[in-house]
Amino acid sequence: MNDQVTISPTTLSVHLTINGRDQALEIEPRVTLLDALRDRLNLTGTKKGCDQGQCGACTVHVDGQRVLACLTLAAQVEGREITTIEGLADEDGTLNAVQAAFLEQDAFQCGYCTPGQIMSAVACIREGHAGSDEEIREYMAGNLCRCGAYPNIVAAVRQAAQELRS
Amino acid sequence: MTVHDMKHAASDSARLEAVGGRLSRVDGPAKITGAAKYAFEQQLEGLVHAVLVGATIAAGKVSAIDRRAAETAPGVLAVLTPDTIMELKGASDWLGNPPSQQTYNPLAREVTYSGQHIAAVVAETFEQAVAAAALLKVWYDETPAIVDLSDGKAGDGIPIDAMTKEWGDAQAAFAAAPVRICAAYNTPREFQAAMEPHGLIARWEGDELTIWEPSQWLDGMARTYAEWFGVPFENVRLVSPYIGGGFGSKALALAHSAVAAAAAKMLGRPVKLVLNRPQNFTSYGGRAATRQTVAIGADRDGRIQSIVHRGVNETAVDGMWVEPLGSVTSIMYATPNFSSRQNVVRVNTVVPGAKRAPGENPSAFGIECAIDELAYELGIDPLEMRLINYAEQDPHTKKAWSTRQLREAFAAGAEAFGWAKRPPEPRSMRDGHQLIGWGVAAGTYPVRRAHGEAVVKILADGSVEVESSSIDMGQGTYTILAQTAAETLGVPVERVSVKLGDSHFARAGVTGGSRLAGVMTGTVYKAAGQALDELIGLALSDPRSPFQALQANTLQVRDGRIASPRGEGPELSIAEFMAAIGRDQIEAKGDTLPASTTAEERYKNYTTIAMSIPHTDGDYSRYSWCAHFVEVRVDEDFGTVRVSRVVSALDSGRLYNPKLAESQWKGGIIMGIGQALLEEGIVDRRHGRIVNGNFADYMLPTNADIPDIQTISVGIPDPHSSALGGKGVGELAIVGIAPAIANAVFHATGKRVRDLPITLEKLI
Repeated sequence: MNDQVTISPTTLSVHLTINGRDQALEIEPRVTLLDALRDRLNLTGTKKGCDQGQCGACTVHVDGQRVLACLTLAAQVEGREITTIEGLADEDGTLNAVQAAFLEQDAFQCGYCTPGQIMSAVACIREGHAGSDEEIREYMAGNLCRCGAYPNIVAAVRQAAQELRS
Repeated sequence: MTVHDMKHAASDSARLEAVGGRLSRVDGPAKITGAAKYAFEQQLEGLVHAVLVGATIAAGKVSAIDRRAAETAPGVLAVLTPDTIMELKGASDWLGNPPSQQTYNPLAREVTYSGQHIAAVVAETFEQAVAAAALLKVWYDETPAIVDLSDGKAGDGIPIDAMTKEWGDAQAAFAAAPVRICAAYNTPREFQAAMEPHGLIARWEGDELTIWEPSQWLDGMARTYAEWFGVPFENVRLVSPYIGGGFGSKALALAHSAVAAAAAKMLGRPVKLVLNRPQNFTSYGGRAATRQTVAIGADRDGRIQSIVHRGVNETAVDGMWVEPLGSVTSIMYATPNFSSRQNVVRVNTVVPGAKRAPGENPSAFGIECAIDELAYELGIDPLEMRLINYAEQDPHTKKAWSTRQLREAFAAGAEAFGWAKRPPEPRSMRDGHQLIGWGVAAGTYPVRRAHGEAVVKILADGSVEVESSSIDMGQGTYTILAQTAAETLGVPVERVSVKLGDSHFARAGVTGGSRLAGVMTGTVYKAAGQALDELIGLALSDPRSPFQALQANTLQVRDGRIASPRGEGPELSIAEFMAAIGRDQIEAKGDTLPASTTAEERYKNYTTIAMSIPHTDGDYSRYSWCAHFVEVRVDEDFGTVRVSRVVSALDSGRLYNPKLAESQWKGGIIMGIGQALLEEGIVDRRHGRIVNGNFADYMLPTNADIPDIQTISVGIPDPHSSALGGKGVGELAIVGIAPAIANAVFHATGKRVRDLPITLEKLI
């Protein structure tokens, strides 16, 4: 609350690799990865639930690690490999095993937390944290689901983990 | 919303796809790939961004706003204050009552709750708007606020006579009863906390307004916008293809909606305004905090002689919300004497609103804990206690139940849970330092009914389209309407495309009170039946029809192919037939309203709730029912409570799609676990602020909080409740969970916690 604050109009050129494609953006330094995806690149699959790092709806992968896009500035991930929900299925449309399991197990209702849940689940399995239902519950606990699809999410992650192991 | 990639064998198709089949969500592929565009994710040319500023006091006046710094900040297009925003007209309420004020200003000069919108900044980018909003300087004349129900200034409130339910002489019968219990039960302010925030994009083209906004009621909200801006209803188009959770919160156009639409009109640009997460705790009402006392008098055999119930809920200083606290109290158990009355108390809050099972949810917390207390008082098993007092008819209206599978629910739930093995004494089960308790409670929700419209089109290629302005916020409307149309028309479900969430489609009323599935399956069944009749009529009578020579009385359609029932004569696909008779499409509009309904009545039906059909209309009383069995583990040293097992048996009548219904039931149970153990809006006593208005401090259940949940359907088709035999699903399962957990905590610990949530300090 200080009218002495000056807001710099300076923009940055940021080059991001998203779902295997290079994207060039002219954005202010304060633009988050989440808003860059949703408002600048029309990649609205990544959801904004809280914008405070509390709900997990904006989970994406940066160099294969799960990251909250709302707490990440777009400029921070210059040159890194970013994967969003739109980039998870194969080019020919074949679903990732986690996506298919979410559909089969009805692991969502409204679908708003779902992209974040799926991105977390893919990483959870890759991290080796899908060994038991208890472990899945714990390592998926950062992704809130108000519709209450949790038991079905556990079932979906368990199923996908088994399919990916076999 | 067409179906891709249905993962099941062809032989299973018919069973899965028919009404009652476990078809996976037809909107699922869009949701799991990120392709589903939610309302305010539309990308529009020239879109600008609005950010709201909320009051930091709970009562008083905005004396001045210095907007100079914000106005000169980069990218800022407008700073809207109570003085600079355009004047709107007052709009009628959801019952259709005319407005009390001629004009409406969505930005407040007179502040009645903390967080109330007092200004908005519109800028080219979201970041610019957020930054400039922080530059506004606001001065207030603060006056004392009534922060909550326990505030000394709150008083006893206003009696709501319409809530009074009385028969017999409840006070005298209670006084005379040989066994009596009386206790007070409290529930805190709770929030819907849908994962998708509230927000919208508003765009004006001349005097036509398009609103992309998550909505549980397109027609009702369109009416409000039309009235605010003085334009014809037809000029407003609401678009809401997917809704990221509502739970009762997304049925009305709210102050922030008006700000965005006004800003768009003033600037001549499309405006996007999304509430940030803390604003989602103050910009619309959650569940009102409630207080109840329940007194039950019984004879020594456990038969209830009298129930005396008094309830209070908070409402706003400038708005009325009644949370009907006697709704379950008055119907769950047979009693010859009954009295329930309710007051509301005005406090400085945003007007409370509907959250999943408004009324029934807190009502059940009172009566279902009290019946448990009575069971212990008498030394009777809590399940047996409920059966002793089983209501064979509606105790209030004295009407027959349409269907009531509650006895079956108790039996099935108890069997699956192993209730018979429960030792009655508190603190009698333990695993190391964990005390284990088992609790039971019942739940119910009325079958709310209304009318709807749907258009069903059979297209030239043999595919089918269903259109309705109803919505899918995760209940599965897309899927069950596809199943209904597919079964009725005899086409594979992947040939059916369901289009929802556009107010220019055939009309629908509010999606709330668990009514939509019953209304819309009935409507689509009717519309699809009409389309089928027309198709077969043409096949029998059109001179170009290959079936005309058959001289048949009727034809049938199966798997998208038309043939005579006996297999004589030709067999054509619908596409081949449409080509043969040269038709582009066959269209039918199904409408469950009587043919004599006037245009004015239709408008009222879809844009207000005034024409809802009472659940006790006619000869029957119609409710869904459930019985919850819960196991808790309480850490003896720390008082932490974990729910370790839930078995619920539920009567929602016929299930249109059990896979999706079970998901909704589990969701209700999980929201109930949050209510019982975690959720509480905490109000700062100095400034009346919600201090935990975010997802870290207002705790929702996480995956790690939720055990395995078993749901059992005990429903039977209920022809008195809906065309296809279903009753309500979405709200039922949350009702009764909190008391089942509280009762289990008592069984585990011997401590009766009557204030939700059951947090550790209440147990140590």
